[in-house]
Amino acid sequence: MRLIARYAKECEAHFEIITVWDTKIEKESVPKHDPRIKTLTKQHPAAIWFERKMHDDYGIIIEDAFDNRPLVHQEYFPSAIHPMQKAFQAKSITPSDYKPYKYETIGGDGVFEVAVGPIHAGIIEPGHFQFSQAGEDILHQEVRHFYKYRAIEKMLEGKTLQAAKPIIERISGNESIAYQIAWRDIVLQATRSELPEQSRKYHALLLELERMIHHLTDLGFIPNDAGFGAALAFASKLSEEARRQLQRLTGHRFGFGAIDFESHTMQTEVWLHYLETLEEELALFEAWIIDIPSLWDRFDTTGILKAKKAKKYDTVGIIARASGLTLDRRDEPFYQTHGFVLQTESSGDVAARYKMRLKEARNTLTMLRNFTVETSEAITLHTLQDGEYFSFVESAIGELFMSVEIKDGVIERFFVRDPSFVNWQALHLMMPDNIIADFPLINKSCDLSYAGNDL
Amino acid sequence: MIRFWNRRFRTGILTENPEFDKEMQTIRKEMKDLVKKRFAGSLAIRMVDSGSCNACEAECNALSNPYYDLERLGIYFVASPRHADVMLLSGVMTFNMTPHVLDAYKQMPEPKWVISLGACPVMEAPFEQTFAIKGPATAHLPIAYHIPGCPPEPIEIIRGLLAFLKGI
Repeated sequence: MRLIARYAKECEAHFEIITVWDTKIEKESVPKHDPRIKTLTKQHPAAIWFERKMHDDYGIIIEDAFDNRPLVHQEYFPSAIHPMQKAFQAKSITPSDYKPYKYETIGGDGVFEVAVGPIHAGIIEPGHFQFSQAGEDILHQEVRHFYKYRAIEKMLEGKTLQAAKPIIERISGNESIAYQIAWRDIVLQATRSELPEQSRKYHALLLELERMIHHLTDLGFIPNDAGFGAALAFASKLSEEARRQLQRLTGHRFGFGAIDFESHTMQTEVWLHYLETLEEELALFEAWIIDIPSLWDRFDTTGILKAKKAKKYDTVGIIARASGLTLDRRDEPFYQTHGFVLQTESSGDVAARYKMRLKEARNTLTMLRNFTVETSEAITLHTLQDGEYFSFVESAIGELFMSVEIKDGVIERFFVRDPSFVNWQALHLMMPDNIIADFPLINKSCDLSYAGNDL
Repeated sequence: MIRFWNRRFRTGILTENPEFDKEMQTIRKEMKDLVKKRFAGSLAIRMVDSGSCNACEAECNALSNPYYDLERLGIYFVASPRHADVMLLSGVMTFNMTPHVLDAYKQMPEPKWVISLGACPVMEAPFEQTFAIKGPATAHLPIAYHIPGCPPEPIEIIRGLLAFLKGI
């Protein structure tokens, strides 16, 4: 079984622990006065972040956990506060005394530590990486995040689904459309409404265009981190053009506000012409980049994630597929009839993740053609019904999971698990046998989101 | 490779693309002069993200693509605050990030300026005040200039930088 998410929720007299697997959803109640649960980390190491977060959020004690350090709450965060509890309503907190965070390290003669972050050298989001080094070789790495923690789950409580949308679409800018589609599916479920085929196609087109932008950007940045700048110049031109198409379609370069239940018309002629030029440029790019041996020397066998490990750590998205796992939320009839073909690689290294992006970009191009519609239809939603709703979307990074509980017409509990949340936990597995200079390359080949992870 | 160079010469310089109007040309000229006069030829920017959604970062990365090519104006992003004239601050000031942002500011040599980028640092984005957000950036840092937008488009960032240079 694959672990998708594990989170808690406060009810009247108890906390409910919800564990989402790929085949079922398990619920467990624990009393409020003594909330204790058993850890899942022995079978599913990636459960540890979910469980540490649960402790920070609600004060739930994980009885046999090997790691009890705070996750979201950092050095200056007051330790007695569990902000997701309904009783906590403060809008500001006073920093407490500095409590040092104990990093996972490896000891030994001549082994030293390298601290990287939270502010990185470049235009990147903040996060921290702690390396244990033997000379240039990486022995171990710990990923530490949540610098961007904005408390979005708490922020959305008490809002209607409509009022929550502008915030949901800004959780992670690069995955905005995916987040909006997850929101859309929840609205549709909660109102017992059906989306017409045309609108579904239009939304899927926007999601594929977002994926295309994401992949094109990475196709440039990954070689750039291996010192091959020409690829960045080429691919960033392509991604800029794709972003302009997104702006032309939605009025926004990142598609904020793009997914709704209104009617939209596309200028299909301009669009199809664009796809033609993109296809030609992409083919040229691929033929060129695949034939640069010094670049593939850096890519091959760098940052390997074996299929067994990828499975054990419940990874999703590009990372999982590059290691040979056949996981893709688009692997269903609607996408399949529009040209979707599941892509995988087997070697699990930087080269595999790069080739995955090339393959998926090509497949996405086919789908962009097939999803083209003249107009999408407007629909009227039925009345909203209280309940607990779940949705899954394949974002450009991987499987996105969102769950919303609605009570009295407003959000009672909002939970979202970005694909990055599980994938970040597998990053350290790619490090052994690599040198620290290859870390930026490995990290970029995964291209995970910090904002979606931190919430 | 030969096909690549073929295409390279056929494409030419994209920044001359007609969709870029005259204004861009004037901005470029003005900016070059200003950067030359005030910063001896180059303006070094340290981008710091204190809790954005990554869209502002994506737009700043887009500034170096062939369509905008910011570096040829003498403005470039540097890796360390100690090399920077300007801190470009994006995102809401989160509780966890604020001490690090202030650290980075402390490390910058005088004279130094802070430019806030996008709706987040001034708390105009849809994000509301929570315990994890430490209010607008103006409460923590002397903001010299603000570039509005959610996120500001690359061309708006270039215009904003120009207006900032005119103002100091």
